[in-house]
Amino acid sequence: MIRKLTSGWLLVLSITFGIAGSGSATSPNPSGHGERETDDRGVLQAIAQAPVKTREWRNPYEDQPSALLAGKKLFMQHCAECHGANGRGIGRALNLHLPYVQRATPGELEWFLRNGNLWAGMPSWSGLPEQRRWQIVSYLKSLR
Amino acid sequence: MRFRLRRISPRFDSLWIYGVTRVFVRVAVCFFFLFVVLPQRAGAQETPYFVTYSHHLEEPGNLEIELSTNYATQKGGNDFIAPWVEFEYGVKAWWTSEFYLDSQGTFGDSALYTGFRWENRFRPLMHEHWINPVLYVEYENTNGADKTMIEVVGFDTQADHAVPNTEARKEHQHELETKLILSSDCKGWNISENFIGEKNLGHDPWEFGYAAGASRPLRLSVTPEACNFCLENFVVGAEFYGGLGTSWNLTTAGTSHYAAPMVKWQLPNGVSFRVSPGFGLNSNSHAFLLRWGVSYEIDGFGRKVRSLFR
Repeated sequence: MIRKLTSGWLLVLSITFGIAGSGSATSPNPSGHGERETDDRGVLQAIAQAPVKTREWRNPYEDQPSALLAGKKLFMQHCAECHGANGRGIGRALNLHLPYVQRATPGELEWFLRNGNLWAGMPSWSGLPEQRRWQIVSYLKSLR
Repeated sequence: MRFRLRRISPRFDSLWIYGVTRVFVRVAVCFFFLFVVLPQRAGAQETPYFVTYSHHLEEPGNLEIELSTNYATQKGGNDFIAPWVEFEYGVKAWWTSEFYLDSQGTFGDSALYTGFRWENRFRPLMHEHWINPVLYVEYENTNGADKTMIEVVGFDTQADHAVPNTEARKEHQHELETKLILSSDCKGWNISENFIGEKNLGHDPWEFGYAAGASRPLRLSVTPEACNFCLENFVVGAEFYGGLGTSWNLTTAGTSHYAAPMVKWQLPNGVSFRVSPGFGLNSNSHAFLLRWGVSYEIDGFGRKVRSLFR
């Protein structure tokens, strides 16, 4: 029974990993090197929902090179799967180089990371400590 | 369906458990090497709890596979282990679905598959608040021999698990379980409270239970260097859970309660390990539980599956 059960589990896991391994870890950007011009108005509106006070929030890690590197590490762990290793977006995920993203204040970006845009598919990253979200913001701001 | 290992010598009266443990260890070792070797990135941000749920859902399109087990000492009976496998998928950013396969093995008795469960968690509010509610609905199709103890409800006691498997497995548990999950994040801490209501679809009144937990990473910011053993990869916490009686008799007496510290080691490549010793808080509880689990998160699983059909 145990062997059958284990075999069944392993079969399911094998199929799962087979499917998982069938795609690359990060798909190529369909738009190549150019700026992707998708309908990102939803994201723009979502960022615009950030309370006014968030515009005054300062990044405690501003101008710290180590925070930028730490933010890049976090970005690669948590964000690159959807936004691409270069941050230019994959599929519906936002191109983070777009001007209105870069124009957002650090506070607005941190608020957006914390809240996400659940209805549009962007998860909330409130499970990451605030310090890590600020480190990601440091990296995002370096993309311009 | 039942599996019984033959006795090799009286000295190893419960030798079959070595078989169960050996199989589990083999699978866990396979997980370990497979996962540590795989250079995947993953975005897991889940808390280390085994029983308590937080409002952090699976990222959309990601699949997490976890192999866990529950070992318990048994008063007036034989100790047991209850392994289970869970598949957690982020359907939407506000909806996570999870499927479980349960089994158990009891020293000196038998090992058997005990059923499956399918749960769904929904976030009704689209923004973060001081307290974030999540609605939880689960269908369970298990038998009475299930000993995973993923929740404690009603008048669940340790004595329920002393029943021989041949008898216990005759009971069919066809249940609907609901939870109200309330969860907050503050200064790196996660604090979660769950209120559980479970109904046997065939008969019996509603059974209630609770779970509450708190956890925190050992380091809140991360270092620029890639590392496996730095403090940022470890999350520690504790949870408390137990039964609250039934709709006919809402009480904390006559049921079991547990306290369990825990630690989670989250590797950057998506593998995580969790271990949690649990301690019974009254005479209705198992004196000691030990849970451990290994999981792996596959980024973009949904997208990869869809690409197969294009």
